Amino acid sequence: MSEGLYVPLLDLGCGAFLLAGVLVLWRRDLMAIVGLFALQGMALAAVVVLLGVHQADAELIAVGVGVGVLRAGLLPYLMRRALAASGEGRETQPLVNVATSLLVAAALAMLAYAVAQPLIRLSPTPATQAVPVALTVLLVGFFVLVTRRRALSQVVGFLLIDNAITATAFLTTSGVPLVVELGVSLDVLLAALVLQVLTTRMRAAFGGTDLDELRELHD
Amino acid sequence: MSLVGWLFAAALALCALAAIGGLVWPRSWVAGAGTVAAGLAAATAGVASVVGSRWSAWLPDVLPLAGVRLSIDPLAGLFMAVTGGVSVCVAVYGIGYARTPGHRLDSRGVQAAVPLFVGAMVLVPAAASVSTLLLAWELMALTSLLLVLAEHRRRAEVGRAGLWYAVMTHLGFAAILAGLALFAAGAAGESFDQLRAAELPPGLRNAVFVVTLAGFTSKAGIVPLHVWLPRAHPEAPSHVSALMSAAMVNMGCYGIVRVGLDLLGGGPAWWWLVVLAAGALSALYGILQAVVTSDLKRLLAYSTTENMGLVLVGVGAAGFFAASRAPALAGLALTAALLHVVNHAGFKTLLFLAAGSVLRATGARDLDALGGLRARMPHTTVLFAIGALCASALPPGNAFVSEWLLLQSLIRVSPLSGVAGAVTMPLAVAVIALSAGLAVATFVKAFGVGFLARPRGVGAERATESPPSMLAGMGLAAVACLALAVVPALALPAVGSAAAVAFPQTPPGLVSGAVTLALAGVRGVLSPLLIAGSLVVALVAVLGTVRLLAARRARRVARLWDCGAGPMSARMEYTATSFAEPLQRVFDDVLAPETDVDVTPARESAYLVERVAFHARVPDRVERRLYAPLLAAVDGVGRSVRGLANGSVHRYLAYGFYALIGMLVVLAVLR
Repeated sequence: MSEGLYVPLLDLGCGAFLLAGVLVLWRRDLMAIVGLFALQGMALAAVVVLLGVHQADAELIAVGVGVGVLRAGLLPYLMRRALAASGEGRETQPLVNVATSLLVAAALAMLAYAVAQPLIRLSPTPATQAVPVALTVLLVGFFVLVTRRRALSQVVGFLLIDNAITATAFLTTSGVPLVVELGVSLDVLLAALVLQVLTTRMRAAFGGTDLDELRELHD
Repeated sequence: MSLVGWLFAAALALCALAAIGGLVWPRSWVAGAGTVAAGLAAATAGVASVVGSRWSAWLPDVLPLAGVRLSIDPLAGLFMAVTGGVSVCVAVYGIGYARTPGHRLDSRGVQAAVPLFVGAMVLVPAAASVSTLLLAWELMALTSLLLVLAEHRRRAEVGRAGLWYAVMTHLGFAAILAGLALFAAGAAGESFDQLRAAELPPGLRNAVFVVTLAGFTSKAGIVPLHVWLPRAHPEAPSHVSALMSAAMVNMGCYGIVRVGLDLLGGGPAWWWLVVLAAGALSALYGILQAVVTSDLKRLLAYSTTENMGLVLVGVGAAGFFAASRAPALAGLALTAALLHVVNHAGFKTLLFLAAGSVLRATGARDLDALGGLRARMPHTTVLFAIGALCASALPPGNAFVSEWLLLQSLIRVSPLSGVAGAVTMPLAVAVIALSAGLAVATFVKAFGVGFLARPRGVGAERATESPPSMLAGMGLAAVACLALAVVPALALPAVGSAAAVAFPQTPPGLVSGAVTLALAGVRGVLSPLLIAGSLVVALVAVLGTVRLLAARRARRVARLWDCGAGPMSARMEYTATSFAEPLQRVFDDVLAPETDVDVTPARESAYLVERVAFHARVPDRVERRLYAPLLAAVDGVGRSVRGLANGSVHRYLAYGFYALIGMLVVLAVLR
């Protein structure tokens, strides 16, 4: 693949990745959030495949396809199923409203850009220059965890962080070993399953998944 | 592998076997027999290494990263021999004691923990690298903590005592860890040979010494780090108290001698003046608390603080003399200190075991509820009397010999050696003299009130003599005490060669003579055997004369004059509280006792009294003034930050988020 095509495609993939992450803050419809997460998974998979094609590394392409199947297929499917079972459609009243959240996301993006500079200086390739994008998504995911009430939003926040970590790993190194990626993906899948079980239990016990209703549980 | 190595390995292997035996088959004689054999092996290994055969080993594969480095020199051998000897007595005693009905000391856990504790204590002096020492030290702390908690189901105080002990011993461990890590970082490596060869800057040396001193003194029960001792010793089973008080606390002194004198090679005079001052303070404070307490085991625990204080006076004086270039005096002071370690181990084993025997028979530790045990427990009474005589530093007891040696080294200080020595040493002499006097009062009280006269409590009335194995364990300790008292020359060469490890330049044969001890370089002669002999002769003569004179007169049996108040009851006897009352009055300002008289008048008249209640207690003043505010402050901080955790998951997540963002911002700004 020529360098002229590689860099715009990589930037496009990373842009989609970032946009999907930020839009999670904007939408309050839980089904739409899951859709955005699936979109981000696809963008991540595309970036990995693109890296694999650029380096002519078949194993990396295979890993990229696997990442796509897990993050754009399996995890969104699990979440949709959980959502359908719960019947809760919307994120009620986030702790920080949508407009402020988007402004915060902009601030986080600037912070990530500033922090990533030393990393970029180590090896200024096009892939490494996209690292601030991944860091931004990481911070946005953390922000979702802090401000969103529904258990499903929490799961999405957690998975955003994980997507961002995976993206950072692929962008900074020229491919993670297959075993490591498999292990990480399996961990994520298990964590998602556990969180789903917990969500179901929470609903059975408290009739809702608003985390702030758990406050009474502390000692 | 030399004889010492084989014996040492055998001791550790026997400890492990005994622990497994105790787990698999919890009969008290299984673990007991194993521990006796292990103790014998350890004692023999110690004696053999003191006599002159050294042993060292480097086992790189036993532990990951650091390996295990062992070495037994005479100093280590002395402490190993003491531990072994104490273990033998305690294990023999424990066979009978563990079967005490209702105490549940023959459970698997206790049976397995005792040999492990002994093994750890044998391992500590043999360690020859920082990591090995710390590992053995922690093993010793953990196994002893388990044993302290052995009876936690029966009494709630056991749990609190265990908590105090756990916190203090781990703070001490952290201090030792920090000090030795600092030392090893400054030296080329962590083995003791590398530490000895290290050339550290003076500031670092001072830091290492002060920090490790804090850690080791907390193990030795030195004021103000003694607070765990009067709690843990009374609440632990008595044979465990004996092991802890006679063997484990010694390791604190071992650590100070090993690190301060051997590894750091001595230091400036102020180090040792600090050690001496801490020792003197502990000696006085310990014996003052002991003389006013009426709990028998608490009394013995405070007496441990006193004796460890005396040992530190000797160690501090030795370091001070070495710093002021008086090697003969330094050797003499260290010999006296180490001899006192041996002697204290002997009589404290005996006393704690005897206290356990009393506790088993009567169920009471309170001296005010005892009395009249002479007729009911004659053997225990005699054995406790021997221990009390030895502990009160009177001839012909064994503590007398070591305290005499210590005094000899202190009073020989040359006035030309500087103002510090000329001022400090006479003060130290005064402290030792005062503590010896108070020790006599303490043990007269313990023996007289506890064993003589008539029983004051139901438990004491129903007391019966202990089983033979317990008496045998106490008997062994008593024989060792008497042998040390009458022929100290048995132990002196060993102690001298152990002291020579710390001071290689010391001229040999500082204290010589088999029957009469003569000091080299200074004029001073003591013959314990002759003193004991003449005391026996004098006693026999006096008793014979009295008997002869009494037999001449006709005996008349009559009722005791009771001032017309009716028959005298046991409640009119002297109690421990009343015996100590004059001393409590004299030392009122130091002890700050709390007394509370509660008078309830009759309903009709203010002049007719229905009931008078009197409460007196002597709180540990160091604890009250130093620890209570500290604990209250920590508690307050804990309470005030409780508002941070209100149960909201989002809040907890936000803390993490803010911390991360804050760190990133700092990073972005600084880079």
